[in-house]
Amino acid sequence: MDRTSIRKWLKVPDKMGQKYSLWVVYFCTGCGVIEIPPVITSRWDAERFGVIPVATSRQANLFLITGYVSVKTLRAIIRTYEQMPEPKYTVGFGSCPINGGMYWDSYNTIKHLDKYVPIDGWIAGCMPRPEAIFIAVTHLWTMIDKGMATGYIKYKENYEYYRNNQEKVLGGLDWPPLYSVKK
Amino acid sequence: MVIKAVWIIVLPLIALVIGIFFLGLSRKVIARIQRRYGPPIYQPIIDIIKLVNQESISHGRIFDMGVILSLAGSIVLVLFIPFGGIAPLATSGDLLVVIYLMLLAPLGIALSGGEAANPNTSIGISRKMMLALGYEVPFLFAILAVMTYYKTTSLLEIVKAQQSSWWGVIYLPLPAIAYFMILPAMLGIRPFDIVSAPQEIASGPAVEYGGRYLALTTIQHGFHMFIGIGLFVNLFLGGGNPLIFFVKMLVIFILGLFINAVFPRLRIDQAIKYCWKWPAILALAGLIIARIV
Repeated sequence: MDRTSIRKWLKVPDKMGQKYSLWVVYFCTGCGVIEIPPVITSRWDAERFGVIPVATSRQANLFLITGYVSVKTLRAIIRTYEQMPEPKYTVGFGSCPINGGMYWDSYNTIKHLDKYVPIDGWIAGCMPRPEAIFIAVTHLWTMIDKGMATGYIKYKENYEYYRNNQEKVLGGLDWPPLYSVKK
Repeated sequence: MVIKAVWIIVLPLIALVIGIFFLGLSRKVIARIQRRYGPPIYQPIIDIIKLVNQESISHGRIFDMGVILSLAGSIVLVLFIPFGGIAPLATSGDLLVVIYLMLLAPLGIALSGGEAANPNTSIGISRKMMLALGYEVPFLFAILAVMTYYKTTSLLEIVKAQQSSWWGVIYLPLPAIAYFMILPAMLGIRPFDIVSAPQEIASGPAVEYGGRYLALTTIQHGFHMFIGIGLFVNLFLGGGNPLIFFVKMLVIFILGLFINAVFPRLRIDQAIKYCWKWPAILALAGLIIARIV
């Protein structure tokens, strides 16, 4: 942890700020959110790494999607993701957002979340332990440091692909595109 | 003249440093009370650096101006509050100016939030104005008691009068207690964090703030801490030189933090009832006693 290295703070203040002040929107889609209360309260205390929960998407820069994603909640996930200010990072928590998990043959569950919003990292497991969130956070630090956490840039560049996928599964979206779509 | 101009620039910076320090300290102390390790004390600085480097989404011109108005109101207010005898804009009636300018910060946030047109913002603003209505009554009584007792409306003279004899809290215990009872409501901390209740109304007026707006709001909150506690130290604890003044502020702030860390949030009607009952009665009794004596 190089939170106290002043030389690095002077060199890349934006990266350092984003590393050590991750404000999280926990998207409570499923059972995964039960692991969040121990993480943010006294037992594991995520606040010592600067990770705090915030109430709205406008204030957040990390989006943690916990548990399975149904078609209905995908709409809310996309809206929340598009409202977050850049730079923003997304982490899928649990095996359900990765490939559907135990809902692999469900007709109403999104199997591959990264077709609809870009995901910077995954936490595999059913359920992952709270420690896994801290490992994810430290991995995200390394990725931010090396400039690898570029999901939001990918979203901007390939917006047409993502928008098409979103419209296909939701049957049309009732809000205008975030970036201009080439027709 | 030159010294005064220098202080006008330096004093807000000192207030900013103290306010940010208080914000960091509050997070650390609350964490230790809850048996957590807590973030480092400089965590608010990290947050502000991050917020400044973030994309800021605007919702219109008043949305921008309201935040700036509230920050400007707080900075002007800092110049009227003597910091250990240093008050660059001190005049004969600055206590009255302070009472007027106190409402500028909530007003700016209200203007800005109105432009955002989010229902949570509207609820937050209405709660903020209601709460202001609640704590202004005992606040006014307490300040009137101080004015009546010292027969002046100048903060510098009140501080000077306390330094030649005992502190104001000895002569005016009831208004001092009343002021301390409404201090959490003025600073917007628990049990009076009704305005920014994240679990009920998604952090209230700050719902639509992101990036630089949130950074400015955080800085304004730091200034607000400095003003509320600084006024208490000036009125009742006798000022002193800058270092002693800071120590007195720290003691009052940590006492407030203990209340903040332990108590749950009140409802808005309970808060109004509380503000208009015990602090108002105590402050009014203090005013009558000050008038008779």
